[in-house]
Amino acid sequence: MAKEVAALEKGAACCGWSRSGERLAVGSVNGSVSIYNSSSSPSSKWKAHASGVVDVVWLPPECGDALACISGDGTLSLWEEVEEGSQPVTWKMCKLFDSSSYQILDVQFGVFSTSIKMVVAYSDCHVKIYELLDLLELDKWQLQAEFQNVTDSVSRFGRPSCLSASIAWNPQRGENQQASFVLGFNSDLPQFNSPKIWEFEEAHQRWLPVAELVLSEDEGDRVHAVAWAPNIGRPYEIIAVATCKGIAVWHIGLNPESDGRLPTEKVALLSGHDDEVWQLEWDMGGMTLASTGADDMVRLWQCNLNGVWHEQATLDCS
Amino acid sequence: MAEPGDLRLHRYPQSKSVDAVRWLPSASAFGRLVAVAVHDPDADPAAASALEIHSLSPTQATSPLCLRSSWPSPSRIAALRASHLPHNPLAAAAAASTLGGSLHLLLVDLVNGAVDTELSISGDRSFHAGPVTGLDMQIGGGECVTAGEDGRVNVVGAGEGRMEHRRVHDSNGLASYTAARWGSPAEFATGGVGFGVRWWDQRKPEGLVAQFKGSWGRGSVTGMVHSIDIHPSRKHICIVGGSSGTVFAWDLRWQQQPILLSGVGLNGTDQPVSESEVWEVQYDSYTQSSGITSAPSTKILPVMVCSEDGILAVLEQGEDPVELLAEPCAINAFDIDPQNPSDVVCALEWESMAILSRGRDVVAIQ
Amino acid sequence: MPGRPSDSGDSLVPFSPEAVGPVTHRVHHGLRSPLFRVYVSWSRGNNLQVACIRPPPPDSETLDGTGAEGPEEEIGGKVVEVKLGNGEGEVSEAERRRIAYGSVAPFALLQSQKNLFAASSRMPNSSIRTEWWHHVLEYSNSISNLLGERKPLPSAVIEDPKMILQPGEEPKSLKAAWQLMEIFYVDKQVSSWLPECLVDWLADYDSLLTRTESTIHTKISSLQKKLDTLKVFEDDPDYWEGLSAALAVGWLDTVVKLLRLHGSYQLDQLDSREIENGLVEAVAVLVSTMPRMRPDLPPGRLGQCCKTKQEYIKAWEKWRGHVSKLESSAFWVQCSHPETRDGLRNLLQIMLGNIKNLTVATCHWMELFISHFLYIRPFTVGLEGMQNLAQKCMQLKPSSNYNGLIRLLTGIFGENPEVVLAECSKSFGSWMVVHAMELLTASSDNFGILLHEERYNLGGISIEELHRLGYAQVLSSHPLTWQIAPTYLASCPKQGLGLLEILLYRQPVQNYQLVLKTLEICRLYELENISSSIMKIAGMCHWKHGRKGSGVYWFQQAGDKVSLDRIAQQLFESIGKSVSDDSFKQWEGLIELLGSDVGTAGGLEFLHKYRDFKRSLHLALEGRAVDAARQSMQSLIQLMRNPSTPQRFWLPLLHDSVTLLNWKPQPLLNVAETNLLLNKLQELSMAKLRPDYCDTNLPPQALSSVRLALAANLGRAILEEC
Repeated sequence: MAKEVAALEKGAACCGWSRSGERLAVGSVNGSVSIYNSSSSPSSKWKAHASGVVDVVWLPPECGDALACISGDGTLSLWEEVEEGSQPVTWKMCKLFDSSSYQILDVQFGVFSTSIKMVVAYSDCHVKIYELLDLLELDKWQLQAEFQNVTDSVSRFGRPSCLSASIAWNPQRGENQQASFVLGFNSDLPQFNSPKIWEFEEAHQRWLPVAELVLSEDEGDRVHAVAWAPNIGRPYEIIAVATCKGIAVWHIGLNPESDGRLPTEKVALLSGHDDEVWQLEWDMGGMTLASTGADDMVRLWQCNLNGVWHEQATLDCS
Repeated sequence: MAEPGDLRLHRYPQSKSVDAVRWLPSASAFGRLVAVAVHDPDADPAAASALEIHSLSPTQATSPLCLRSSWPSPSRIAALRASHLPHNPLAAAAAASTLGGSLHLLLVDLVNGAVDTELSISGDRSFHAGPVTGLDMQIGGGECVTAGEDGRVNVVGAGEGRMEHRRVHDSNGLASYTAARWGSPAEFATGGVGFGVRWWDQRKPEGLVAQFKGSWGRGSVTGMVHSIDIHPSRKHICIVGGSSGTVFAWDLRWQQQPILLSGVGLNGTDQPVSESEVWEVQYDSYTQSSGITSAPSTKILPVMVCSEDGILAVLEQGEDPVELLAEPCAINAFDIDPQNPSDVVCALEWESMAILSRGRDVVAIQ
Repeated sequence: MPGRPSDSGDSLVPFSPEAVGPVTHRVHHGLRSPLFRVYVSWSRGNNLQVACIRPPPPDSETLDGTGAEGPEEEIGGKVVEVKLGNGEGEVSEAERRRIAYGSVAPFALLQSQKNLFAASSRMPNSSIRTEWWHHVLEYSNSISNLLGERKPLPSAVIEDPKMILQPGEEPKSLKAAWQLMEIFYVDKQVSSWLPECLVDWLADYDSLLTRTESTIHTKISSLQKKLDTLKVFEDDPDYWEGLSAALAVGWLDTVVKLLRLHGSYQLDQLDSREIENGLVEAVAVLVSTMPRMRPDLPPGRLGQCCKTKQEYIKAWEKWRGHVSKLESSAFWVQCSHPETRDGLRNLLQIMLGNIKNLTVATCHWMELFISHFLYIRPFTVGLEGMQNLAQKCMQLKPSSNYNGLIRLLTGIFGENPEVVLAECSKSFGSWMVVHAMELLTASSDNFGILLHEERYNLGGISIEELHRLGYAQVLSSHPLTWQIAPTYLASCPKQGLGLLEILLYRQPVQNYQLVLKTLEICRLYELENISSSIMKIAGMCHWKHGRKGSGVYWFQQAGDKVSLDRIAQQLFESIGKSVSDDSFKQWEGLIELLGSDVGTAGGLEFLHKYRDFKRSLHLALEGRAVDAARQSMQSLIQLMRNPSTPQRFWLPLLHDSVTLLNWKPQPLLNVAETNLLLNKLQELSMAKLRPDYCDTNLPPQALSSVRLALAANLGRAILEEC
């Protein structure tokens, strides 16, 4: 049932798979990045950062083969694979985002008909949204917006300090699709933490929070991971949110209510990982959720015919 | 034009992808051999691709296939050619080019079906960088021409214990080649994107002699060339098969007026035999041309094609296509047995190969 | 509610049989615990990639050093691919794929017939329904043939009298399950002959009832082995046991063959054992003339066919009369061989339907169940009746574990399609569910309604669609079978296309043949936006990997004006700077590729003119031919007049032409033309003051040298014209 695909070199710290799942990028504690092409040894390896790489995220395939690396020092670099004549394949840096005063914690990319959008989350709980119009040149990112993950004015709250951020774009592609993503933080100020869905309002060219995925008793829970399920035709969206209390599964209505907010309903709270949840991943149809956690388990969750979410299988990696 | 008549089809499931098939010359009583390029994505990447030699009883086309030997290929085989060897009737040469940009020349023992020796160019980025889908070998196992997606064209000769390649052309990525075919010992044709066909002559300093851009009519239909065939008696005509069911003949003497045998043509009224990719074309020496005696030099000889939508058919200029097979899955490649042209081996998408025998009561006199 | 399954029977994607709680699989990676992190990613379909990463070494400096650690210490982690939802079982992966390919055509045919029927009549017309049976039966037969050949019938060669068990291919549970569904759900013609169908089914698949306990099949096969060594059969209790067992489940051929092995048939014994032999033969005759209510019997098989109930009852009573008569015959007293006497009388008791004898003769409850049809209740009809009977038999012959086949059978008796599907899914995988569902929905309108009802909990789809989506996902898990998933997705009215789009979008683009295959599917299902996305991705991949020709080709195919414009833009930028021969060639080639008929891209139009200008300029500078010089100047004027020429190219263009402006033999521009260029130059110097001015890489004195040359040309032109 399982087969070994690759053995990673010593010092591996993080990894990310390309959209088609054929390529794997591995970041190392010494700042290097290795690329595996469905083979057991890396096809490329280069030094991306002086300090350790803490996260690697592939850019959408619309940009070619390109990779975003977040370093432990809070900087973000974008790399692309290029090839010319008999020269071997090389990875070239396209852009470096410095962490002036706040560290970069997470980055995610969304594909739109004429552009790629990038959300970058910083350690003071604000995000910047960049847009790339020319996919041939990965250095021409334009800053489109910058805001904090709160629904009210920020002045009352002071300066948060944030350990990690979780971003998930609405995976739906299409001509008329509004850009939207869900964002949650793991910070010391509760107001910033709760996951909120931000949607781009074309008319006023601004980002608005259209839903908040939290019940009053859970307000302020630190968010460890979020995942937006692909929607192949459901009349509602599904988003999974991991906090210290477990993994919550939310249904989000497609049509806003009179106040402009989207109706939300928490349909399940899945507990199983006793410790922190590291990652949430939906399968291609949005029917199975895979989660990993500090208990070294991969858990697979599904909803049965009666609408009850349950753990379907466990992969024990310990 | 001959009717399809009596057809017999036998399928052989392989439980792995069958990428290319070629008949090997048969050495009298030892049965017939087929070279098959296979790929098993479930296997360990190092052992996933191979060239297999299968044998078939010499008399009966529906007899079971028997695996004689398997030669592991370092990368998935993209193109395969085979030829007899004039100086050695008990052996045949097979050439295989791969997606990894390597070329392998194998000597197959026709008595026991074993792969005897191998010459390779592998891991040499000055040869090809990337997939080599255009490959042909001179009849008699001489030089090979390779044309790759990287836009390079090489001629490869087997020397003493090694292969030597000579670059004919490098487009520096401006062109991508997907097909190649020898026309004469010095001339060959290549095909690529945009229905581009080029004619090369090694004796000329630049190499390139003529080219066809493939934008006829309104230019709305374009695609890739997947296969070219040149008849030994008509070296000035290339038969080209490609996207959107397009099959045309490009005559070097009338370079701007290709003869469309199938596909969406100038007036859009031509009925294509298929609307999807035509993966391979070959002159069909079994089918008797109706006009072969009346207009020997102007009429295009019958051509067999296979397509993504599962059609194996014979096309002839001015005639309705004759469908031999309509499979539920793609036919990715086929080969007509040069020694026994009534028999055709096909590579089917659904992990199997098939051997089609056409009625022997009307054996063609070739 | 959270965490615990409420009912594992109706889970969406089957992960493993016999699941009550979540099944735990161990991922064997060979790394020492604890782990630092575990990463997962779904790759193809239901394949999950799992990366297990060890804690990084405490001092990152030692990374590059070669410590004295073992080889295992050198590994930082392992990546494992886990295949989910395929179930495990007797069917190999390759066989599973062969079945998957083979079922595409029958499935697609049935769907199109269904659509035709739906279109031709919305009414549940009875004649249409009966016609519909034929289609489903045809479908069922094609699938059944795919699952394996029928056991070969006795061949024409001289039969071995000792061969009581026909050798044949090992039967497969998958086929057994399919046959069972066919018997109960499809073949309505056989409903009155259902018991006999089950008798036949058991004859084929008895060995599959249990792997751990004994069955009649195991008894007979061990007897078969013994026959070769045995001298006097009738003294061996196994002989009589085998006889009674085979008779109990109606394997009449086996019974008669065994009886004829009886020692009394030996020529040398005939005299002394006349009576005994007569009794054996009498039983054999009774066995071979047993009435069976079925339309026909395969040639060479024993029994007496009765097509109607009346005919059968008549024959049955007559036959029973003979059996009772023999039972109470006086000859038994004269039979000197006690084993034979007892054994034969036991057979008669079985034929008379004595439940005690039947219970002893059979091993598995299912065998006892079948024997009821043969000897006790030949007219058992209705699933309820069968269920009651089955329960009774299970009490008489309890079994420690019930396998998938048995659970499926009990599900069928229970008339619960959800249980049937859950059992199919658990034991035989999603292929079985999807294909067997066609049999279920065909069997009863209620099942159809239940399986077609749209459910909010499932995201607005029906159970039928849910299972098809699940199967399509299983097909997507393999790089060779994903191409048949669209056939199944096309039969999913609500979410099929959504999943198909994701499936197609995720296909890798490196191999152009695979891209063309993907695009072909887009064409068939009219998914233009997906095909243009795929072509754009392919274009970008090739472009950035140095295959510029392919890149441009795909962008053109995708109608991606934006990318083509950007490429044209890049060309300006590279060419505005320097014109070495080499780069010009490359550049010219690209312009050639971009083609002349991309009319809407203004930038390209400019590029073509620019190319002409550069060419003639080149010729003029090389050969100093006056025609070429004039021509290039005309190209320059055209370019400068053309509104599509970007302002930032004015200066490079003019700068390139300085030599020609200073052309010794004669001025190449007239006064009006020179004035036009001077005006442009003026405009340029004004623009230079604006903040958005884009500077070129030209030397700083470029502007003034152009001005000087233009002034000189103007002067000469004035002189020329006056």
